[in-house]
Amino acid sequence: MGLSEHIVMRELDIPAINDFSVYRQHDGWEAFADALRTKTPADVVNMVKEAGLRGRGGAGFPTGVKWGFLPKGVYPRYLLCNCDESEPGTFNNHQIIDRNPHQLIEGVAISAFAIESHTAFIYMRGEFAAAAITVERAIAQAYQAGFLGKNILGTGYDLDIYVHRGAGAYICGEETALMESLEGKIGQPRLKPPFPAVAGLYGKPTIINNVETLTNVPRILARGVAWYRSHGTEKSPGTKCFSLSGHVNRPGNYEIPFGVPLRELIESPEYGGGMRGGRPVKIIIPGGASAPWLTREHLDLPLDYESVAAAGSMLGSGAVIVLNDTVSAPHLAYKMDEFFKHESCGKCTPCREGTHWLVRVLHRMAEEGHAHPEDIPTLHGIYTQMAGNCFCLLGESAVMPIKSALRLFPQEFEAIVRQSQNGHAGKPRPAAAQHAIPLGLASRR
Amino acid sequence: MPDVTVTIDGVTIQVPSGTNVVDAARMAGVAVPVFCYHPRMQPVGMCRMCLVQIGTPRLDPATRQPVLDDAGRPVIQMMPKLQTGCTTPVSEGMVVNTVADEVKFAQRGVLEFLLTSHPLDCPVCDKGGECPLQNLTMQWGPGMSRFDYNDKVHFEKPVPLGDLIYLDRERCILCSRCVRFQDELADDPVLGFDNRGRNWMIISKSDPPFDSKFSGNTTDICPVGALTSSDFRFRARVWELDSRPVVCTLCPVGCNLSLDMRYNQLMRVMPRENGAVNDIWICDKGRYGHRFVDHESRLTTPMLRRDGQLVPASWDEALALVAEKLAAVRQAHGGSAIAGLAAPRLSNEDLYAFQKLFREVLESNNLDQRIGAPGEPALDDLGALLGPGTGSDLAQLGAGTTVLVLGADPEEEAPLYVLRLRAMARRGARLLVANLRPTKLDRSASTRLRYRAGAELAFLRGLLRALSDEVGTDRLTVKSSGLDQLRRALFATSLDDTAAACGVSAADLKAAAATIASAEHLLIFYGAEARSAGPAVVETLGALLALAGKAGQSNSGLIALLPGGNSRGALDMGVRPDARPGYAPLAQPTIGARDLWNAVQGGRVRAVWVAGLDPAASLPAARAALDAAEFVVVQDLFLTETARLADVVLPAASVAERDGTYTNAERRVQRSRQARPPIGESRPDWQIVQGVAQRLVQAWVATGAPAVPAKGPKDGKGARGARGGVEVGAVAVAENGGWDYLTAADVAAEIAERVPGYAGVTYPALAATGKPGSWGRQVNEAIYYDGTNYENTEGVGIKLPSLIESGRASLNLAPLPVPATADDRPLLLIAQPLAYDGDPLLRGSRLEAHVPEPYVALSRADAERQNIRPGDIVRLASSAGELALPARVVDDLPQGVALVPANLAGVGLATVQTGPRTRVSLVKVVV
Repeated sequence: MGLSEHIVMRELDIPAINDFSVYRQHDGWEAFADALRTKTPADVVNMVKEAGLRGRGGAGFPTGVKWGFLPKGVYPRYLLCNCDESEPGTFNNHQIIDRNPHQLIEGVAISAFAIESHTAFIYMRGEFAAAAITVERAIAQAYQAGFLGKNILGTGYDLDIYVHRGAGAYICGEETALMESLEGKIGQPRLKPPFPAVAGLYGKPTIINNVETLTNVPRILARGVAWYRSHGTEKSPGTKCFSLSGHVNRPGNYEIPFGVPLRELIESPEYGGGMRGGRPVKIIIPGGASAPWLTREHLDLPLDYESVAAAGSMLGSGAVIVLNDTVSAPHLAYKMDEFFKHESCGKCTPCREGTHWLVRVLHRMAEEGHAHPEDIPTLHGIYTQMAGNCFCLLGESAVMPIKSALRLFPQEFEAIVRQSQNGHAGKPRPAAAQHAIPLGLASRR
Repeated sequence: MPDVTVTIDGVTIQVPSGTNVVDAARMAGVAVPVFCYHPRMQPVGMCRMCLVQIGTPRLDPATRQPVLDDAGRPVIQMMPKLQTGCTTPVSEGMVVNTVADEVKFAQRGVLEFLLTSHPLDCPVCDKGGECPLQNLTMQWGPGMSRFDYNDKVHFEKPVPLGDLIYLDRERCILCSRCVRFQDELADDPVLGFDNRGRNWMIISKSDPPFDSKFSGNTTDICPVGALTSSDFRFRARVWELDSRPVVCTLCPVGCNLSLDMRYNQLMRVMPRENGAVNDIWICDKGRYGHRFVDHESRLTTPMLRRDGQLVPASWDEALALVAEKLAAVRQAHGGSAIAGLAAPRLSNEDLYAFQKLFREVLESNNLDQRIGAPGEPALDDLGALLGPGTGSDLAQLGAGTTVLVLGADPEEEAPLYVLRLRAMARRGARLLVANLRPTKLDRSASTRLRYRAGAELAFLRGLLRALSDEVGTDRLTVKSSGLDQLRRALFATSLDDTAAACGVSAADLKAAAATIASAEHLLIFYGAEARSAGPAVVETLGALLALAGKAGQSNSGLIALLPGGNSRGALDMGVRPDARPGYAPLAQPTIGARDLWNAVQGGRVRAVWVAGLDPAASLPAARAALDAAEFVVVQDLFLTETARLADVVLPAASVAERDGTYTNAERRVQRSRQARPPIGESRPDWQIVQGVAQRLVQAWVATGAPAVPAKGPKDGKGARGARGGVEVGAVAVAENGGWDYLTAADVAAEIAERVPGYAGVTYPALAATGKPGSWGRQVNEAIYYDGTNYENTEGVGIKLPSLIESGRASLNLAPLPVPATADDRPLLLIAQPLAYDGDPLLRGSRLEAHVPEPYVALSRADAERQNIRPGDIVRLASSAGELALPARVVDDLPQGVALVPANLAGVGLATVQTGPRTRVSLVKVVV
C-alpha cells in the first residue's frame, strides 16, 4: 500500500512542485521562515533529534546527534550537502533535485540555520549537468524571494548556498574526499580523526548530510515530530526512497516507510511489479554496490537499518538491485569489482593493488573462462587481505561482491575451474546473462 | 608534554605524549615496518604497512576510570580492526601487539600487494642494496607471490621529473614521501599527483620541471627505486661503494656529506646525519656540485713559467723557486712587499698554515680572504663576537624562539638554512623575515617586513628604538660601551619619522619588537644583502641582540651567511689584513685585497700568492696587477684565469683528497676526512705552504741570517717548543721553525693550542663525539626506518663559544658613522648571490645547466617607465662605469632596485660597482 502523503518525493502528490510558485503555494519555505522567526537553532536540532531522522546516505547515523558533535563556539561552520550520488544502483538524489529541488534547498537552509552556519555547499556529481542548472535556478529563486542572502526576512540571519559540481569520482562521495575535492585538491579521503564536525572543510567544523536527509527536514518542521514518527519503525522513523533496479518489471524510485518487507518492494504492483518474465530471484543487493549480497531467502526481510544489518548486509543508500537466475555470480562480482578498481583513488595499498588484482583474476575467470585451481583460494586471500586494512570504505566495499559471490555461489567458481581444466575454456556465462547486468552498472564503466 | 605509559609486545615504556605508535615501538626496541611514514614528516597512513593491533583500557562509562579485572589490572579492550601505527598517537595504558597473527597476515598482505605492481628488477635497480622494499620484503613479506606475472602492469619509464631526477613509474609504490617532502619540508610544492588508482602517478607541476634546490633528497627518502638521480643512475651498485665522511665547503652551512667512492672514484654524494647542522638533508648543490673533484681539467702537476709558458715541473723545483723568489723579495723590500690571498673555502689547517707562513716566516700581514672587488662588504666580526652561545642547537628550537632574518636569501646563499628555519617555524618559532624584496622564505614567515630599498639602517634603528621603548636597556648585561651614544642616536628622531623613512609602519615595528622582546631565544640571520648595506647595519643587529638581553647566550646570537664554506674559519684563523688568529687586532693596518692591486701597481707589493681564489676572472684591476707583479704564485684545483698569469702554479688537493676541519656559520668546527689519495701530484694546501716554509726556514737556519722572525703569539707560548728546537738569535724556533707537520692533525693540534677559542678542538676531540651514547642515533634510525644509510661516524663537531661569552671581547654599541652619499642616480644596484653561480667548482656537474645567463632584474614599474621589455638590453651606469645586460622584469620586485646576480661568469659587475651598494641609472639600449 502506497503512502497517502509523500515526505520526500512530493512530486507524486503535487506534480508541479518543482515550480517555485507551486512550492510556495504548498507552504514551501514557510518552515524555514517559521524557524527563523520563532525558533532557536537548538530548537531545530532538538526537533530533528526527536524526529529520529537518520542519515540516508548509507550509514544511517542520527542526524540531530551528528549536528550535536560540532564543537561549541568555533566558527565559521559549514554545511555540505552530499549530492555526489555515486553508489551504483542509487538514483533517488537525482530525482529529488530534478523534481523537488526547492524542498532540498529549504532543507539545506533550515539545517544551516540549525548548525549556525552561514555558508552551505551542495556538492553535486559532475554528471548531473542538467540537474545542477535546476538547482542553481531554484537557489536563485530563493535569493530573489529573500530566503537566502543577507539578513533573511529581516531576522539578521545570513546564508549563502553554492553548487559545486565534481569531476566524476566515486570516492568524492566519501565525506572527506568530497571536502578535498571542494577545496580544489585531488579527491582522496583524509585521515580521521579529526572528524569533519571538528575540522572539516577548510579546517573548520563541518556537517555533511545527504540530499534525501536534508529534504526530510522541512517536513519535520512543517508537520511536527509526531506526524513524522508515525511513519516507519521505532528505530528507523520516516520513509526511505528506494532505488529499485535489476530484473524487476518496474524499476524506479519508490518512497516507502521503513520496515516494509523486501518482497513487497519487489512484488507489489505499486512498486517493482514482480520479476521480469517471472524468473526466480537469485541475488538481492539491498544497499548499493558496497552491500553484501542477499538471496531469495531474505525476501521477507523488513527494509530498515536494523533488520538488514542483522541479515549480514546493510541498507546503505537504499539502492536495491534484484537479479534473477540468468546472472553468473563470478561475472557479477567481476563487473562490480571492475567498478571499484576503476574508482579506487590509489591512496592506500590494499585498495589500489587489491582491486586491481581481483579484477585481473576475475576477468580471466569470468570473461575468458581461464582458471587455475588455486584461483579460488587466491581470491579468498586477496579480499581477506583487503578487508579491514584499507584507508577508507572504498576498499572495504570492493570486498563485498567477491566475498558474497564466493560465499553464496562457490559452485559457480568451481565450475569455471573445472571447465577450464577440462579444456572447455570459454565465456562461462549463461546465454541469457547478457541481459543480466543492470544498466546502471554497465554504464558506469 | 607529560609521558604516557604504553606496553608494546610486552615491553612497557614511558614515551612523550603525542608520540605515534611506530615511534613509540622504536623506543621500546620494537621495529614496525613502514613505507609512507617518515619520521620527519606528518604521518598519512597510506601504505598500510604499519598495521598493528592496538588496545586501550576499558573505561567505566560513569566514572571514566579504567575497569579492573580480578587481579586488579585494567581490562584492555582491543580495537576490532588493525590500526596504522603511524597515525595513532599513544595514550595512557595503551597495549600494542606487533607480532599477532593478524598483524603478520596484514603485513604479508601489504607487501604482497605492493609487489604485484612492482617490476622486481632489483638486479638493475640503483636502489638495490639499500631498498626498504627489498629489506622489508625479506623480513616481513611472503616468500612467494600468488600473482600471475603476466598480469603485471607496464608503464613508460623512466620519466624525467626534471633533469636531475628520474621517475620509474613501475617501481613507484605511491607513498607520496617525495611530494610531502617538497610540500612540508622544502616548501617547493612542485611535485603532485595525476590520475588515480593504479594509474596514480607522481608528476612535476613546475616549469622548469622539479624546480627545487632540494630535489635530491627525494631519492634518499624514496623507499623504492622509483626516484633516481641522473647523476648516479647505473653508475655503481651501492654495495661497491665506500662511504667517506666529508664536510661540504660550498656554503657556510657545513652539511655533513658522505662521498661514496668506488676504487677512488666519486660515484655519488649522500648526506650524513647531523642534527646540529643538516639533519638528514643536503641541497642539490652539495649533492651534485662535487663532480669537480674528478674533472679532467684538475691540475695534477706543478708548473713553472719558462719562456713565457707554463710548463710542468717537479715539486722540488717549484717549491724551491717559490722559496727563492719570496726570500729575494723579502730581502730586497721587506715582508710587506709580499701579499697573500686565500679562499674562505679552504680548511682551517690550510688557512692557519698560510697566515703562519706570512706572519712568522715572511713577516707580512698582507693577508686577505677576498679578492678586492668593489662589491665585497667589510669582513664580518659580529658573527664571532655575538654568535650563538655554547650548547646552541637549532634542532631543538621552536616555540619561544624568535628568528629575525634580515637582508638574506638563504635559498641562494645557504640553502639548507631554509629547511632549518622552516623546521623551527613548524615547531612554533616566530620567524620575522625582513628584506627589501620578496624571497622564498617569505612563505614560511610569521611576519614579513618589507623596508624600502636602502633603508636597512633606518629600519633597524626603528626596530631597536621600539625594542628599547618596550624593554628599556636593563637587559643589557654583557660588557659594552657606547650605550649613551646609541641612545642619543635612537632618540634623535621619533619612531614615526623612522617608520616613514624605512617604509615599515610604527605599528609593525612595535609588533616585531614585542616579538623579539618576548622571545626566550633570539637568533638573527643576516645575508649578503644586509652586509652590503654597510657595517653600521650589522653593528645595529648586535645592539638589537644585546638590548634584547640575549647576547652571549646559548641558542641566541647572530649568524652571518658569509660567502665561503669556511669564511668563519678564515676569519678565526686571521686570514685578513687587520687581525691575527683569534681576532687579535693588529696595531698597524696592512694591505688587504681592496688596496692590493694598487699597491702592486705602485710597487709597494711585489710578490702575490693566491690560494684558491680567482681575482683575475672578474676583476680587471687584479688582472693588470698580476700581470705587472714581480712574482705570482697560485695554488688551485684548476688552471684559473689567475693561474694563467702566475709564475708558479701549484696543484692543490680537493676536499675529497685531504683531511681538514671547517668552521660553519654558527661556529661549529667539523672534521672532513680524506676520501682518496690526491689525484696526480696534487697536495693539500697546508702541505704546499709547509713545503715553501720549510725551504725558507732551512735556508735561513743554514745561513744564520736573516733571522727567522720572532712573531710568536703574544701569550708568550712561542712556537711549538714541545717538538724541540734550536735557538736562532734570541727566539725559540723549532728545528724546522715549527714546520714539521706530518698530518693535518698536527696543524689542528697547533690551532687548538695557539688560536684563541679553538682550545680543545683537536682531531681526537672531534672524533670523540662519535662515541655511542653521545652520538649514534642515526644507526638506529636506519634499522627502524630502513633505506638510505645516513650513518655519521665522524661526530657532530664542536661548537665554539662566542667571543663575548668567553669574555674575550666587549661590545661597542656606539653607532658607526654613516657616510653620506651624494649620488642621486635612481636605482640601487644589488648584487644577488645565487647558489648556481659561476663558481668553477660547478664544473662537471649537471648543475651547470642551471646557471643562468647574466641579467638585470627590474621591477615592472621601473621597466615600464622606460619601456623596457623582458630580454631588452639595458645599460647600467654608475660613477665608476657602465654595464650592459639583458633585462628581466620581476613583478614583485620593489621599485628603485636593479638586481644583478653576483659571481656569475661574464657579468662584469666590477666595472660598474663603486662599493657593496652602487647607485646606477638605467638606459635601454636601442639596437
